[in-house]
Amino acid sequence: MLTGLAAGMARRRPASLVAVLCAVLGGSAIVTGTGVLLESGLRSDVPAGRLDGASVIVSADQTAPVPEDLDVGLPERRAVPADLAAELAGLPGVTAAVADVGFPAAVLGDDGVAPADDPATSGHGWSSTALLPGPQVDGAAPQGDDEVAVDASLAAAAGLDVGDVARVVVDGREGGYRVTAIVRPAGAGVLFDDAHAAELAGRVDLVGLTTEPGATERVAEAARDAVAGTDLVISTGGDRGDVVLPGVAAARSTLVVIAGSLAGVPLLLVGFLVAGALGVAMTGQRPELALLRAVGTTPRQLRRLVALQATLVAAVAVVPGVALGYLLAGRFRALLVHIGLLPDELPLTTSPLPALGGVLLMLLVVQVAARSSAWRTSREPVTTVLGESRTGPREPSRIRTAAGLLLMAASVPLAVPPLLVRDALGAAATSMAGLLAAIGLALAGPALLRRVSGGLAGRLPARSGAPGWLAVANLHGYALRSAGAITTLAMAVVFVLTYAYAQTTVADAASRDGAETVLAGTTIDAGALGGVPEGLAEEVAAVPGVDAVVPAADTTVLLTGTTLGDAVVEPAGALVVSGDVSSVLDLDVRAGGVDRFEGPVVAIGHDLARSQDAGAGDDVALTLGDGTPVQARVAAVYDRELGVGPVVLSADLVEGHRTTDLAQRLLVRTDGSAATQNRLAGLAASWPGIAVLGADGGPDSSTPPEVWLNVAVLVVLLGYVLMGIANALVASTAQRRAEFAALRLVGTTPRQVRSVVRREAALVSAAAVLAGVLLSAVPLVLVGLGFTGRPWPAGPWWLLPATAAVVVVIAFASTEVPARLALRTPPAEVLARAT
Amino acid sequence: MTAAPAVAPLPAAPDGTPAVQLAGVTRVHPPDVRALDGVDLVVPRGSFLAVMGPSGSGKSTLLHCAAGLDTPTSGQVLLAGREIGRLDETRRTELRRVHVGFVFQAYNLLPALSVADNVTLPLRLAGRAPEPEWVRFLLDRVGLGGHLARRPGELSGGQQQRAAIARALVARPAVVFADEPTGALDRASAGQVLDLLRELVDELGQTVVMVTHDPAAAARADRALVMADGRVVDALDSPTAAVLGARLVALGEG
Ligand SMILES: Nc1ncnc2c1ncn2[C@@H]1O[C@H](COP(=O)(O)OP(=O)(O)OP(=O)(O)O)[C@@H](O)[C@H]1O
Ligand SMILES: [Mg+2]
Repeated sequence: MLTGLAAGMARRRPASLVAVLCAVLGGSAIVTGTGVLLESGLRSDVPAGRLDGASVIVSADQTAPVPEDLDVGLPERRAVPADLAAELAGLPGVTAAVADVGFPAAVLGDDGVAPADDPATSGHGWSSTALLPGPQVDGAAPQGDDEVAVDASLAAAAGLDVGDVARVVVDGREGGYRVTAIVRPAGAGVLFDDAHAAELAGRVDLVGLTTEPGATERVAEAARDAVAGTDLVISTGGDRGDVVLPGVAAARSTLVVIAGSLAGVPLLLVGFLVAGALGVAMTGQRPELALLRAVGTTPRQLRRLVALQATLVAAVAVVPGVALGYLLAGRFRALLVHIGLLPDELPLTTSPLPALGGVLLMLLVVQVAARSSAWRTSREPVTTVLGESRTGPREPSRIRTAAGLLLMAASVPLAVPPLLVRDALGAAATSMAGLLAAIGLALAGPALLRRVSGGLAGRLPARSGAPGWLAVANLHGYALRSAGAITTLAMAVVFVLTYAYAQTTVADAASRDGAETVLAGTTIDAGALGGVPEGLAEEVAAVPGVDAVVPAADTTVLLTGTTLGDAVVEPAGALVVSGDVSSVLDLDVRAGGVDRFEGPVVAIGHDLARSQDAGAGDDVALTLGDGTPVQARVAAVYDRELGVGPVVLSADLVEGHRTTDLAQRLLVRTDGSAATQNRLAGLAASWPGIAVLGADGGPDSSTPPEVWLNVAVLVVLLGYVLMGIANALVASTAQRRAEFAALRLVGTTPRQVRSVVRREAALVSAAAVLAGVLLSAVPLVLVGLGFTGRPWPAGPWWLLPATAAVVVVIAFASTEVPARLALRTPPAEVLARAT
Repeated sequence: MTAAPAVAPLPAAPDGTPAVQLAGVTRVHPPDVRALDGVDLVVPRGSFLAVMGPSGSGKSTLLHCAAGLDTPTSGQVLLAGREIGRLDETRRTELRRVHVGFVFQAYNLLPALSVADNVTLPLRLAGRAPEPEWVRFLLDRVGLGGHLARRPGELSGGQQQRAAIARALVARPAVVFADEPTGALDRASAGQVLDLLRELVDELGQTVVMVTHDPAAAARADRALVMADGRVVDALDSPTAAVLGARLVALGEG
């Protein structure tokens, strides 16, 4: 019975329900998309790639346990015992046990380095061909230390054939190797005689086992028993990718972090818009709901009816919404890969879980929003409801107003973190605080508006035209409706200002820190070779006009700290340097020094120093990227954390704890002359695979990729928010047919009605921009103070006028069009239809 | 009974033109409903006319056409001597808000405005400053002098209808149309409203045209029209409730 009634009511109010439909559709897309990212971050399967032929892989554990939380991936390779392969070869069912190694190797062709996925680990032993998926060998195994086999794509890129002599840079040393075989599939890498490879690698990465058909499980069990008591792990199936490409697997946590940062703001927006759209729909139905109450519908039945109706609409919207969510997540991953925040090898998982989560969450939001918007109508005496339904305006409830004011007050302390934590996480609080204040405004809005518009009506000049007077009277009289329009628009203003300016402020502070940090004018990058080749640093240092050369690399460290009393382990990017670091980096050192950065030492930022309670000369505990815990002497405490990150490590400290010990680039400080630059360029030309980059030194100094990420998120969410607001305004204007008709019957011309609507739009947008700016002010002042030391944010000035313009356009367009439509029907007919 | 106003009374017909004149007015609703079928009608100034007839006989349509709320399919409507049938919506609205007052069965007050603002709205829309004494007089006259700041939702049905009557009169219109003004009211409230209309005619020389189903109400008018199937089938001067009742019963049976 109720279902039929609900469906019937839904059919009669298309305009209002279109707004609900769109809000739910967009909301479920956003929620599902975030869910896909989260799930992928937790358990997407990294493809096993070149080792896909190994059914069982035995390796060191590439994760570090975190108390009461998910393990953290270790991106740097950990070794296994050298004799492990021999030990496992004897297990029943094993057809081959191969000790796999990886080391820097790059094949040079006539026009540069043949491109490889990861040159730092492209070199392998010949026996690893047994682990390739469907290997095809065209030729013979390389023997001794002057022969090599290459995979087909490297051979094609370098123009090599069996019998040619290939120039290969192995672990930073160039040499000539005779090509004995071409191996497929691509990705097999550069293959050396096993003994030679073992010598070059100096460690065994993992052991791959091939098994008799169907013996995978049995072998895995046996291997597990064999390694029991060690920290070695056995991987089969989809788990193998994690140990084959630990760097890629560790990047999964990026997805979790991103999904986590997406969880707050978008969810608030979705809730806000869905509740707003339902509120508008409910206002339009109040006469009907009042009649239902009058004929004996109980409050509970009424709430159920309303919730059912909303659920029916939501059910229609979630299906395309969820599908859109998967597409959205796919586009988002492509963007992350493009800007370099995610390795290309990491796929998304596509399970139905995010869809299920999205549907459940949206239905929950819809149910709660619908029931609470019908709460008052359902509970009040029938006579009050009937009277109200005819007269429209009603007094905003006190509890609602008080809750709103409280929320606005509570948002202030929430905006404080940027003062304490100078990182992107601190800045995320800015937007949350702003939006919370906007929700507070949505609650307290009607009461506040009545005050303001009442004052305005009293102060209106006596001779101001009827439309202006009516517009103010409507704003005042229909405070609930007008406040709804004002607060949603204000929320958009708050969202844009806080979200965008928080990001630009952080980016500005970071790039300023970065630019000030880097004294080195030039970077010489050797990424294509898998590491800086031997002799390059000396040759660069000998170039006239070069003042200092420092080799640098990046790694990851795990920092243990406490957040709100809980122990947390956070991976952080860290710069690895050595020697006279002060000659190329100005870290703004507060204590100690980095001019002889050697031995097991670190330099730490002052935020970290404070949280670890350590100063220069003290020891701090860190976990290196391969999971090794170390005690390191603090050589210096520095200020420029935003530019260089929280930790700088000495090359001596991390020696043997990175996948390759080679430096990745040289930081070069020159006299800045064009002649020196030219000499460097000339030098680089004689070293294949070496690139000279401009003033680009430490890890994140140019536009950080996070900025692009945030721009993308801002654009998607803003599109959703603006669509939601426009829909709600259209629906709420369309509901004013009867009001417009009554106005016309007493002699208002259609022009005058349109003029009233326009003036209302002007007042609404002015109030929205003002409220939005006021609510954004506190968080933005705090973020400015925290990051740049000035009480205003950094960023483009035009953002504010542009936002105001968008608000004005939306307010005008989405009221003018439905008003014109409503005015088409003769007024007497409208009223006849209404009764 | 309040004392006569200090303001000037409604202008008497200078040249004897009737307040409203209809000639051969026909209104056809598509596809083929003849709501009005060649109606001729003259309403002299200062007279009280009642319109009766069975449901669907075209009473409301007649009022809407005469008031310029609706356009006839053919025929002429003269308001205070001016043809309004062929004017566009804006011009008709401008003419209407000055020369016509309309009272609806459903009051149609604007809920967002106070009683005083509702009453003065037509003047403001016409860009005329409300004369405070006149508004005050009207509101006292309809018995709402004490409720100026209230909103329609805070008034009883009868009070709302009296506010609507004050609003209809505020621009000193040539004629006030009332479509079943007592239809939603109880007997006592209805009596007050009818007394008010009668007194407006007698004391201020106001022209009133009222649709009603109640023979007793119609008996308060100077003249009563009886309509059936879009046509005026009878016109009775100084009607009595008994005669009107009998006439309607006859129509109902016929
Ligand atoms: N918009 C319309 N479209 C089609 N027919 C209409 C329309 N409005 C009125 N009618 C028809 O015109 C005729 C006259 O209607 P009108 O409203 O004038 O009747 P009435 O005498 O006022 O009736 P009541 O006493 O019930 O109010 C009726 O048959 C009605 O069905
Ligand atoms: Mg009627």
